Amino acid sequence: MSLIIDLTAHSAAYATRLFAETGHRVVRVESPAGDSLRRTGPFLHNRPELENGAYHQFLNAGKESLTIDLKTSSGQKIFYDLLKKSVALIANLPLPLDQKALLDAQPNLVLTLVEDSEPELCAFARSGLLSLTGHPGERPVLLGGHVIYSATGLYVAAATAAALYVLQQTGQGQVVNVSVRQCLETLNEQAMVTYATTGKGTERRGYRGAITAVSGAFPSSDGYWMISVPHTVEGWDRFMEWVQDPVLMADKSLADEAERDEKRDLIINRLELWSKRFPKAELVAESQKRHIPASPVATALELAEDPQLLSRGFLTQMDHPRFGPMMFPQGAIATVLGTRMKPAPTLGQHNAEILAELGYHESDHRALVECGAM
Amino acid sequence: MSEKKSRLAVGSAGQAAPLAGIRVLDFSHILAGPFCTRLLADFGADVVKVETATRPDRTGVRKGPSDTGGRSDRPAPYLNTNRSKRSITINLKTEAGYHLAARLAQVADIIVENFSAGVMTRLKLDYERLRPLNPGLIYVSMSGYGHSGPRQDWTSMNMNLQAYTGLMMATGSENDPPIAISNSWNDYIGGLHACFGIFEALSERAKTGVGANLDLAQFECSVATFGALLVQSAVNRTVPPRMGNRSLQYAPQGVYRCAGDDQWCAISVQSDDQWRALISAMGQPAWAADPRYGTHLGRSRNHDELDASIESWTRQFEPAEVERRLKAAGVPAERMRRIREVVKGPDASQAFVPLEDPKGGSMLATGVPFRFSLSPVLPPAPAPALGEHIGEVLKGWLNLSDAEIERVDKEGALV
Repeated sequence: MSLIIDLTAHSAAYATRLFAETGHRVVRVESPAGDSLRRTGPFLHNRPELENGAYHQFLNAGKESLTIDLKTSSGQKIFYDLLKKSVALIANLPLPLDQKALLDAQPNLVLTLVEDSEPELCAFARSGLLSLTGHPGERPVLLGGHVIYSATGLYVAAATAAALYVLQQTGQGQVVNVSVRQCLETLNEQAMVTYATTGKGTERRGYRGAITAVSGAFPSSDGYWMISVPHTVEGWDRFMEWVQDPVLMADKSLADEAERDEKRDLIINRLELWSKRFPKAELVAESQKRHIPASPVATALELAEDPQLLSRGFLTQMDHPRFGPMMFPQGAIATVLGTRMKPAPTLGQHNAEILAELGYHESDHRALVECGAM
Repeated sequence: MSEKKSRLAVGSAGQAAPLAGIRVLDFSHILAGPFCTRLLADFGADVVKVETATRPDRTGVRKGPSDTGGRSDRPAPYLNTNRSKRSITINLKTEAGYHLAARLAQVADIIVENFSAGVMTRLKLDYERLRPLNPGLIYVSMSGYGHSGPRQDWTSMNMNLQAYTGLMMATGSENDPPIAISNSWNDYIGGLHACFGIFEALSERAKTGVGANLDLAQFECSVATFGALLVQSAVNRTVPPRMGNRSLQYAPQGVYRCAGDDQWCAISVQSDDQWRALISAMGQPAWAADPRYGTHLGRSRNHDELDASIESWTRQFEPAEVERRLKAAGVPAERMRRIREVVKGPDASQAFVPLEDPKGGSMLATGVPFRFSLSPVLPPAPAPALGEHIGEVLKGWLNLSDAEIERVDKEGALV
């Protein structure tokens, strides 16, 4: 598959990871000091080192690493040589090199420019999404795990893939501009529709009663689980047949969703007492059996050995050169295509290989290191 | 974008939209699938939404009076999600309906469906059956958990997926209960993965002539967005820390309460210079002179105390005023905007665009957050009425005559 150069920051690094999942050759060009993705914790074995960042290990899997100093003329020369073999360059703004010069060097390039001018928390607040996240009345909170950057990365990936398809059909490259702010804003669309048509805002709804009157994350004996009792009469009856709560069953008015909504707190408080007695796996299995949507509220640690992810090959054993045998998340696209991702590259791991491929000699490599370009 | 007058318009340099001429047969419903196919429509694909009177898209049919606005025949969320598509009705449970769907599948480039596992097989419209008829077909399934594995029959909904994919326990601080976002987060994440997968499959097909069967799972799409935390857990055997609004990279960073009811401002101090600017904007309060706050490390270690002090300042002002003062001083700050401010006002979002619907009047629709230098992205067109395009699609895709259309209708295919 064709070559893509990766000059992304965190807000677009998932895009280049996805291209590695579909089998593209992705070369991540880093400064010789290593970029900020390598410096983002948590760190594996709790050692804060450039090879140990969890984000680096996941997002850079399947990529190659080339370290060059783009401020040096020699570094730039290598970059342009590589660019001439590439179909796409995906980069966060500001570009380290002149845009016109890039397009002159490779006129049919797909050049994706990602505009991301604010810190993550500020971007989240400005987009409107912060107002939707958290519990009513309490401090609103950023979505964890930098997951908003996966969403923005997905938009970058889809738009770039579209331009690559056009390139293949017409032979023409083009510039693709993606705005991180707008990416996040689009994800407010339900709140937008509600506001535009009714004038009502959407607020944080927390984890209780967020879907139907009786729904939410309830405590179990070993963590939380999530259930949504259907809004129908039959759904409520199926649920009561299981729970057998004498107080709730005695109140016949609760067959009506509007009544349940009214008495939501009373119902939920009783259900919490009930569900605390059982382990979450048991509650979820029983609920699914009764066709009431339910799931565990999982931590990443639980997901790292989840039976569904193992069964589908999303999690597979990897013999990692640094961390030994481990369960590795291949990715959603890699799973359906059957791609096995290679471990993330060490800093500059592919320097020699790429230089040789571009026609540089071994002595050139030494000179580049000594002059500080590599 | 705005200069485009019609769905068939081309770019200023004469380019066609990226997916011009690509046919999408869309069996998807609710949101994850329809979100994906709406993007395909924006890219210029001809998206034909297959609906039935017996199995309507739950977002698509009025069940009496509602406060969700929209058109007399369709609620507002449907209009936004299914804009720019065409609609046909097929009763897939009749023999004639099945044959008609199979013929459409034969001339389609892409099928998208997000039914529970097994539904398309029961309808005899699964990939294995259709592939011999159309080897170039790109068949995209996007059920909750995928078509294999022990959870394939689990019922899934957005909130359940927020719970199961790790989002709720990655968000918030240590010892907080699970925390959710009040939007259909997983539907968007699933839809975007599918859209990307489709483009890559189209490029591959152009080389090989062979289509693809993408059995995506919304669950896996969302878990993948937490991939780094899974890697951490797999190696360290610990639950990753919940960071709340903080970051080890920047301190102080938080969402601070301002004057007014439930009003907040986000602040992220990214350097010592910005810290000095923050102090200055706050009027050099005595507490800020504490030498412990002089370095990033000191601020990071004493974050709780620092937050309380900063908030004692932010609480005196409306959020817009906090933001104004801090931005003027060069400190990254943004007030928490609610949807009203995102949609309206002098610096309203560019992400939503006006759409004139002859049947429903002016509305706002979600646009796309990117632009191309050559390829046009199509402006949104109104959502279809149920079955609005039966004749048009059957003539255009299958070259059926009026008499033939009447015949399949009589056979019960088009209910």
